[in-house]
Amino acid sequence: MRKPDGKIVLLGDMNVGKTSLLQRYMERRFPDTVSTVGGAFYLKQWRSYNISIWDTAGREQFHGLGSMYCRGATAVILIYDVNHPQSLLELEDRFLGLTDTASTDCLFAIVGNKVDLVEEPAAEDQRKDGRGPGVAGRGGGAPKAPRQVQPEDAAALYRKILKYKMLDEKDVPAAEQMCFETSAKTGHNVDLLFETLFDLVVPVISRQRAQGPPQTVDITSYKTPGQTPSGCCA
Amino acid sequence: MEAGGDTTGPPPGDVEDLEDTRFPSEVAGDGGGLREDPPDPGDGDQEETESETKDQPPSLLSPLPQSGAPSCTCGLWDPAVSENSPTGGPESGSGGQGGDPSDEDWRSKRKHVFVLSEAGKPIYSRYGSVEALSTTMGVMTALVSFVQSAGDAIRAIYAEDHKLVFLQQGPLLLVAVSRTPQSAAQLRGELLAVHAQIVSTLTRASVARIFARKQNYDLRRLLAGSERTLDRLLDSVERDPGALLLGAVRCVPLARPLREALGALLRRCTAPGLALSVLAIGGRLVTAAQERTVLAECRLDPADLQLLLDWVGAPAFAAGEAWAPVCLPRFNPDGFFYAYVARLDAMPVCLLLLGTDPEAFHDMATCRRLVEEGMHTLGATRALREAASFSSAPASSAPAYSVQAVGAPGLRHFLYKPLDIPDHHRQLPQFTSPELEAPYGREEERQRLSDLYHRLHARLHSSSRPLRLIYHVAERETLLAWVTSKFELYTCLSPLVTKAGAILVVTKLLRWVKKEEDRLFIRYPPKYSTPPAAPAASTDQPSHNGLFTGP
Repeated sequence: MRKPDGKIVLLGDMNVGKTSLLQRYMERRFPDTVSTVGGAFYLKQWRSYNISIWDTAGREQFHGLGSMYCRGATAVILIYDVNHPQSLLELEDRFLGLTDTASTDCLFAIVGNKVDLVEEPAAEDQRKDGRGPGVAGRGGGAPKAPRQVQPEDAAALYRKILKYKMLDEKDVPAAEQMCFETSAKTGHNVDLLFETLFDLVVPVISRQRAQGPPQTVDITSYKTPGQTPSGCCA
Repeated sequence: MEAGGDTTGPPPGDVEDLEDTRFPSEVAGDGGGLREDPPDPGDGDQEETESETKDQPPSLLSPLPQSGAPSCTCGLWDPAVSENSPTGGPESGSGGQGGDPSDEDWRSKRKHVFVLSEAGKPIYSRYGSVEALSTTMGVMTALVSFVQSAGDAIRAIYAEDHKLVFLQQGPLLLVAVSRTPQSAAQLRGELLAVHAQIVSTLTRASVARIFARKQNYDLRRLLAGSERTLDRLLDSVERDPGALLLGAVRCVPLARPLREALGALLRRCTAPGLALSVLAIGGRLVTAAQERTVLAECRLDPADLQLLLDWVGAPAFAAGEAWAPVCLPRFNPDGFFYAYVARLDAMPVCLLLLGTDPEAFHDMATCRRLVEEGMHTLGATRALREAASFSSAPASSAPAYSVQAVGAPGLRHFLYKPLDIPDHHRQLPQFTSPELEAPYGREEERQRLSDLYHRLHARLHSSSRPLRLIYHVAERETLLAWVTSKFELYTCLSPLVTKAGAILVVTKLLRWVKKEEDRLFIRYPPKYSTPPAAPAASTDQPSHNGLFTGP
């Protein structure tokens, strides 16, 4: 049985392409859009480490499972849609709070997905998102739209996150290194994103190991505290 | 056998009426004949609809006015309807494109299903984009509140060849507009299934809470993605009838010892808070085990089980291990379970573990490994893979068998639901049916057969004039439907079969089913499993998420 050594979580609004991004990386394909139900768990072997990746459903805040997905995470990938500024705002408004349960030295990456839909005179590659009527007009209407979110906006968010987490910019990777623009459809930057992150995660894992007892809450040992409330509820 | 004696069904003379009505209805279905449709009021039609309803109320308010009356339904009996768009591709047909109510293509759909909020805000439409339909949905809300203002509730409207069925569930309004031969009761069943699907993702309590807080909330935000599940549900009614029609689940045919061994295995592999474990292949049940402490008095409703089976068949679960909240509407519409879903060993076999602890993912993952190891030791892997791969249908990993296996020439297809389930196993209604083969390979043909089955079912279960046996000679096949205290049976036979020949075939089929019943059905479902340790943990878990707050 393989035990995950590190945990990476994908977060972002509905329909920004979390699952597509992950599947592009794991399975080298761009699947038909399938709505994620709850969270999906994958294991990736990187060097001698097993890294677990949680894909989430984009409406976690509703089910209250978000913090469970994030608990003890070594890295969080925050994903937005470059054609939809709102999805970047949502990251700060709704998803950042979920990462409170992540490990204290958690890494953050900010990813603008769907760059294939931006201005470049690309062929009509719409319809990639037939679902999500609530966001119609984003992917469905104009074949190509001028860029809606600038890379600087993402970098600004990254700095905000550091502030929120009270991290010093000098101790963590720079914004330029942790902000990506990807396309799950064409595969643009997808490998770069995951591999950069894995490379950054590995030293964190070994450092955590060296420190001995994990500072993070270990879910596998959760059973023991779990029984304490049982006494009072019974 | 005494089939002849039992016959209370219509004589074959029936057929002539049907032939007569066929052509007109076909013409109507074809072209501009749709003008009188009340359900899809384009701008011009709106008035018509209004007046229509004003005329209607007296009759609508009587319970199920004419569900059995031939006058309204005989036109629908005919499969002529199948000429229009066979519901598009598997997953894609439902797209959010097009769907202007004035669009001919949209209007020609056989059956529309809408979900809207009390405030008239669109939530779901089977076809077309919900945005384009806001006016149409406005009309529906108007109809409902018009009748409501008279202190009554609208149930259905029968208009020419259309049936409109309304179902109010809390702050949600569900509407079916259908030209299929389904009875209003069947359509209502479908709407209930749609509602259950919505509740399973959100729970009834939170739907109510959301609308109590903000009446014009756009529920689509929370349901995004579930539309496809709803589409699949509605598709399955036309493509592969049975589950919803008979209110029963379909089992994977499997030798009894193996099934029992798997059941025992599931009972052995427990985890804290585990309430239910299910093994399924392609939406069909292999076996299931219930946890005694958690589900003690509450038997799992077959509708809930079917919902889970449909749910785990979703493409979202095709890879990885998933962990998601799910609500079982019949069991408790207001609380969540947490479901672990994974495919075993890259097989089409799917394991579902349902628990009450939102943090138990890793426990469940461990449990899954136990199940996997257990299956290896049982050597079940190969047998299950064989069961899964029989299917000759392309792109289907559903385990099935051919109607040839019965060895009754002339028999094309059947649905068989045993009613003589041994005592205390009544909680799991099941049915069996062979794979749909030629001539029912094509979409339209399947739809036609589904229509025929629905029609027969509606006749058998008509509230005013229930029948026990129907022998029906249709244009392209002969059908025999029969319900006794022991079983409910629908058979589809070759059109050339004689009445005596049909009886012979059915006798053969019944004999075959009797012989195979241990394989086709779960005759003796596994008993409860008891958690090996930490009983305290599982009994009180429910209180964590508000489940089991009352008896």
